[in-house]
Amino acid sequence: MSGEHEYPVVAEGLRKTFRHTRRSGLPDKLAVDGVSFNVRKGEIFGLLGPNGAGKTTTIKMLSTLLIPDEGSVRILGMDGIKDVKNVRQRINLVSGGERGLYYRLTGRQNLRFFANLYDIAKVGQEALIDKLLDIVGLTEAADIKVEDYSRGMKQRMHIARALVNDPEILYLDEPTIGLDPEIARDVRSLIRKLAGSGKTILLTTHYMFEAEELCDRIMIISKGRSVGYGTVAELKKMVPDTNIIEVVTNDDPHDTVAKLSSEHFIQHVNTERIAGRHCTRIQLKDRTDLLSYLDTVFSKYGIRKIGYDEPTLEDIYISLVGGEGQEDGGHHR
Amino acid sequence: MNVKAITAAFRQQGTQFLADPQWIIPSIIAPFMFTVVALYMYSGAGELDSPIVLTAVLGGGVLGMWGNMLFSSGFTITYDRYNGTMEPIMLTPTHLIDVIAGRSVWNVFIGMINAVLVFISAQLIFGVGVSVADPLLFFPMLLMTLFSLASIGLMLAALFVLTRASYVITTILEFPIYVFSGALFPITALPEALRPISYIFAPTWGVDALKTAAISGYNTPMASFGIWFDVLMMFLLIAVYIIASYFLFMRIERNIRESGTLARY
Ligand SMILES: Nc1ncnc2c1ncn2[C@@H]1O[C@H](COP(=O)(O)OP(=O)(O)OP(=O)(O)O)[C@@H](O)[C@H]1O
Ligand SMILES: [Mg+2]
Repeated sequence: MSGEHEYPVVAEGLRKTFRHTRRSGLPDKLAVDGVSFNVRKGEIFGLLGPNGAGKTTTIKMLSTLLIPDEGSVRILGMDGIKDVKNVRQRINLVSGGERGLYYRLTGRQNLRFFANLYDIAKVGQEALIDKLLDIVGLTEAADIKVEDYSRGMKQRMHIARALVNDPEILYLDEPTIGLDPEIARDVRSLIRKLAGSGKTILLTTHYMFEAEELCDRIMIISKGRSVGYGTVAELKKMVPDTNIIEVVTNDDPHDTVAKLSSEHFIQHVNTERIAGRHCTRIQLKDRTDLLSYLDTVFSKYGIRKIGYDEPTLEDIYISLVGGEGQEDGGHHR
Repeated sequence: MNVKAITAAFRQQGTQFLADPQWIIPSIIAPFMFTVVALYMYSGAGELDSPIVLTAVLGGGVLGMWGNMLFSSGFTITYDRYNGTMEPIMLTPTHLIDVIAGRSVWNVFIGMINAVLVFISAQLIFGVGVSVADPLLFFPMLLMTLFSLASIGLMLAALFVLTRASYVITTILEFPIYVFSGALFPITALPEALRPISYIFAPTWGVDALKTAAISGYNTPMASFGIWFDVLMMFLLIAVYIIASYFLFMRIERNIRESGTLARY
């Protein structure tokens, strides 16, 4: 099977510590601590985890931007650490956020610049650029300077830039961050289309519904380590559905919720106001039957509905990650 | 050498330059002012097309271009870092040095425009033409001198990243060329022990070649070997600077891949 790789991305035991300068006095930071996984051809693979969990660091190690301290990376059968030039020709990366384009150039000029850095032949270059602009829906804005683009247009331009070398593997680091719901939906359908056309996609996101909607398989990492790996259905089996109780009440139950959250048998509680009602989702630590207990506790708020519920990806995420923040003492890049 | 990437970076820099008029100040107006000041200072010293005035104009021009080159080199990588474009560039198979080189070539281009401007305005402001003895030799020499400045700029662009102290270095480096290149006063005025520094400095040979081409009868200890010796020395030194830059940039790319960022300030 030459040329075809069942697993275009194979990460083995990746480990990375950031060493701070002596002058800064900060301790070294173990960002990724032995992560292994592989991504199938044409699938959308999700890397989830709290802030500072090591997602971006992992993506950088898989995209030649960062050399791991330990472990190996195989990209389309090539050595992802040593064979940099060939790997770079066949992958690309979009990082969420506004930066990363030349603001005083037009969209087209930006694409032309990057096309040349990928050594795309001049013949056909303009046609390629037109095609990319069309894919991301920026044909009309092609000759406007990027500084006049909206946030959503910039994000789509980032994606166009990342498609310039027709990569077989596309890394998307928080591709919908800061986008309004409608634009985010467009970006998601674009991602699905790209995967449909045979590209292998690895993405990170903080939006669980997005991961649930897009991803074939997921790895959840916390503090640099994998805490869950598999399809959404497989991950859901990790939390039995009798563990989730949902209570819908007329009145705001926040004082009871506050009390419950410190109880030892509770993994997580949160309340949301939906259409004038208060919807409380309670994740229990064990399979203990607390339905009647909770029924009594919540009765004073006027229960509209109470019962067990299927776990969502968000429930699983919370139970695996444990709800604790990962960012240490506020030092940032 | 990746000509396509160099050309692309040249165009990117050029388009950006034209879209942002503030760049006109360091890259065109400043070198021009240098020259005009030099002209005024020396115009009492003799006829306007006398060697001493011409020397001053040349010296001023070279210094102005040096200032511009230094400023652009110090700024170029910082710009991509803050702009967030360093990562997308690093992601491509193109080496960073080719992108920075393309921008340096743009600086050479601006330098040439500068020189033409200076010659035209010397004519207009001072009436008397600043006549160049051998224009056919002068402009190629100017181009080569600019390339020698650009190749130092390339090397410095890399050093700036590795040392983190680009502002300090820019300021410190602005002066040695005043002293060692012979642009302001002949290097024969330097103590014997310091002269070797001048000789490993490619622009010194450029300044010498420019004077040889511009002033008939000009001669210095360096010129006694003839203008082609200047050219040879420039060639050699430019090659050395570029090779040094190449290794520095390899180191930078390695550093970035190890630490995840460039040196932080
Ligand atoms: N270049 C760097 N130097 C030092 N520490 C770093 C560097 N890059 C990341 N870190 C640290 O490594 C840890 C993991 O960071 P990383 O960016 O991979 O997290 P993440 O999962 O992408 O988080 P987020 O969801 O906030 O994007 C964090 O504690 C971060 O502060
Ligand atoms: Mg991140």
